[in-house]
Amino acid sequence: MATIELEKLVKRYGKVEAVKGIDLSIADGEFVVFVGPSGCGKSTTLRMIAGLEEISAGTLKIGPDVVNERDPKQRNIAMVFQNYAIYPHMTVRQNIGFGLYTSKLSKQEKDKRIEEAGKILGLDDFLDRRPAALSGGQRQRVAIGRAMVRDPSAFLFDEPLSNLDAQLRAQMRIEIKRLHQRLKTTTVYVTHDQVEAMTMADRIVVMKDGHILQVGTPSELYESPVDVFTARFIGSPSMNLIGGKRSNTGVEAASGGDILIGIRPHDLAANPPAQGDGIRLTGTVTAVEPLGPETLVHLDVDGTPVIATARDKSVPAVGSQLTCSAPSGSLYLFDARTEAFLGRS
Amino acid sequence: MAAIEEQGAAMGRPNGSPSGGPTGGISSRLSMQTRRLLWVWGFLALPILFYTVIRFYPTLQAFYLSFTNWDLLRPAKLVGFANYIKLFKDPQFWKVFKNTFTYLIVGTPISLVLAFAIAYFLDRVRFMHNFIRALYFLPFLTTAAAMAWVWRWFYQPPPIGIINDVLGMAGIPQQPFIRSPDQALFSVMVTAIWAGLGFQIIIFMAGLRAIPSTFYEAARIDGLGEWAILRKITLPLLKPTTVFLVVFSSIGFLRIFDQVYNMTTNDPGGPLGSTKPLVLMIYQTAFNSYAMGYAAAQTVVLFVILMIVSLLQLFILREKK
Ligand SMILES: Nc1ncnc2c1ncn2[C@@H]1O[C@H](COP(=O)(O)OP(=O)(O)OP(=O)(O)O)[C@@H](O)[C@H]1O
Ligand SMILES: [Mg+2]
Repeated sequence: MATIELEKLVKRYGKVEAVKGIDLSIADGEFVVFVGPSGCGKSTTLRMIAGLEEISAGTLKIGPDVVNERDPKQRNIAMVFQNYAIYPHMTVRQNIGFGLYTSKLSKQEKDKRIEEAGKILGLDDFLDRRPAALSGGQRQRVAIGRAMVRDPSAFLFDEPLSNLDAQLRAQMRIEIKRLHQRLKTTTVYVTHDQVEAMTMADRIVVMKDGHILQVGTPSELYESPVDVFTARFIGSPSMNLIGGKRSNTGVEAASGGDILIGIRPHDLAANPPAQGDGIRLTGTVTAVEPLGPETLVHLDVDGTPVIATARDKSVPAVGSQLTCSAPSGSLYLFDARTEAFLGRS
Repeated sequence: MAAIEEQGAAMGRPNGSPSGGPTGGISSRLSMQTRRLLWVWGFLALPILFYTVIRFYPTLQAFYLSFTNWDLLRPAKLVGFANYIKLFKDPQFWKVFKNTFTYLIVGTPISLVLAFAIAYFLDRVRFMHNFIRALYFLPFLTTAAAMAWVWRWFYQPPPIGIINDVLGMAGIPQQPFIRSPDQALFSVMVTAIWAGLGFQIIIFMAGLRAIPSTFYEAARIDGLGEWAILRKITLPLLKPTTVFLVVFSSIGFLRIFDQVYNMTTNDPGGPLGSTKPLVLMIYQTAFNSYAMGYAAAQTVVLFVILMIVSLLQLFILREKK
C-alpha cells in the first residue's frame, strides 16, 4: 500500500501533448476514479503510473520514492485491463498464479493464495478451466484475481467493466468496491461511465483535454461543479442548461442573459403546484421516457432541449404544452461567457 | 395449391420480396433449405470438378501405374508389387531416402528458428520496417533457377566465389562446397532455407502481430523479463502459426527438387548422388529411364512419407486439452 503523487506530469507523443502537466496526490488506501470524455488522457495517465508509458516531464512518486525511471515490475503495482488480458493457453489457476510469477513464496503458499483469491471472487469451481470456457464477467474476475494475489502497493483499473452488459457491470461494481473495502489498497480506476465514478469513488478526478478540471468527492462534484463541463458530466441524465439573467427575486430564464442556469432533470418537476418560488419553464413535450417510478419528459423550451421528471403516474402526451418548475436552492448558476460556476440559487 | 402457398407467403411478408409475387418462380417453390443447398453446391461444383480431373484422377492413376511395368513404349502390364520390392532393395533409394530426411530434419528446425528470430526482432524495428520486410521476402519471389545459379556462383572457388573470398580474408582455408560429396547437401540446403525464409518470416510476423499488446503489458506489470515473456506467452500463443509452418516447411523439404536440380545441373543430384532427394530420383526414373511404373511406385512412397510426416506432426503438436 502506498500513496501516489503526480507532480506536473506530462506525456507527449511527438508534438502532441496528451497529458498537459497534472498534479494530484492520492492518499494511501484511497479509491480514486478518473473520468472524462474519450481521448482526454485518462488511460495515458494510468499507463504512466503503471510504467507502461514513459513520462515526458514531471515526477511520479509511489510511496516515498520517485519512480519515473523504474520498470513496471519494480513499481509493484497491479493492473486490470479493459480486454482482461488473461491468457487463453492457461487455466484460471495458472492465470491467477501468473501474478505471483516473480514472487519468492513457496509453492504451498502460492497455491493457498490462489485458492483464497478464487474463493473471494467466486471462481472456486472454475480454477481448472480455460478462459474460453468462462463468461465475460468471470474472465474479468480472473484478471482481478491475478492482480489481487500479488499484494501490490496499488491497483490500476482501465475501464475494466466496459465490455460487460449493464447488469453484470452493476454487480462487478459492487464486487470491486467490496474488494477495496476489504483489502484497503490504493486504487486508481479509469472509466467514462459517470455512474461507476459516482458509486465507487472516494474522490473523482474529472479530466478534459489532458488537464484536470476538478478533483473532489462525488457529492462535492455533484453539488458544486467548477464549470458547465463537470456539471453536465456528473449526474444522469445530464443537467439542463438554459440562458438566464438575475432578477430582484433571484434568477429567471431569459435568452441572451449573462448567466446560464443549470437545473438537474431530477429537480425539474412536471405539473408543479400552481405557486412556489424558484423557476418555471413551459415548453412542448417532444418525447417521454417512462422509467417506472417516474417518467423523463423531454421538452422544447424556446428551442432549448430540457429534460424534466414527472412523478405522478400520468404521462404527458407528446406535442402537448407542459409547465415544470424547480425549487429555489436547486439551481446552479454559471457565467455565460466563461462557463465557470458562480454559485447555487 | 401452389397459388395458395404463394398467397400465404405474400401475406407473411407484406412488403413483398423479389422471389414472391403472383407469377411465382422456381426459387419460391423450393424451401429455404433447398435453395441454400443449391447455392452452396453451385459454387462448389467448379472446384470439385477441377480437383477431380486435375488432382484426384492422376493420383489414382499413379497408384495404378505403380503396379504396372509401363515404359511409354509397350502397353502397361500389371506386375503386382514388383516395383515396390525392387525399390526397397535398391541401395540408391535408401541413399536418396537418407538425403531427403537430412533436408527435412536439419532444414526445417534451422529455417524455423531463423525465421522466428528474424520475425521477432523485425517486429520491433520501426525504422524502414516495410522495406526490410520486403527485402526478406524478395528471395521468395525469385525463380529457383536464377537463385540457384547465383548461389552456385557464391560457392565457386576463389577468386570467383564470394564466400571463399571472405573465408580467405578471415584466414580460413577454401572450401569445396557443392563440389564435395560431404558439403554439397548442406550447401544446397542453405540455399533452400534462404529461399523459403521470407515467406516464413511474413507468416511469423502476422502471428506475432495478432497477439494483443495488452498480453505483453500485463506480463511486464507482473514482472516477467523478456525471456520469460517469450517462453510463457509469445511461443505458446504462436503455436498455431508454428504448427502451420512446421508442416508447410516439412512438406517443402520433403519435396525439395528445383534447388538441387539447378545447383547441380552437370550431374543432377551429384556429386555421387550426395544431394539427390526423392523427387529428383523420381524425375530421373521417369524421364531419363522412362520406367514409368517404377517412378509411380516411388511417387506413391513419397506420398505415404508426406502423409505420415504431416499427420505425425499435427498429432504431436495438437492442442492438448
Ligand atoms: N501512441 C500514441 N501516439 C499518439 N497519440 C496518442 C497515442 N496514444 C494516445 N494518444 C493520444 O493521447 C490522447 C489521450 O489518449 P488516452 O488513451 O489517454 O485517452 P482516454 O482518456 O483513455 O480515452 P478513452 O476514454 O477513449 O479510453 C488521445 O488524444 C490520443 O489520441
Ligand atoms: Mg482509455
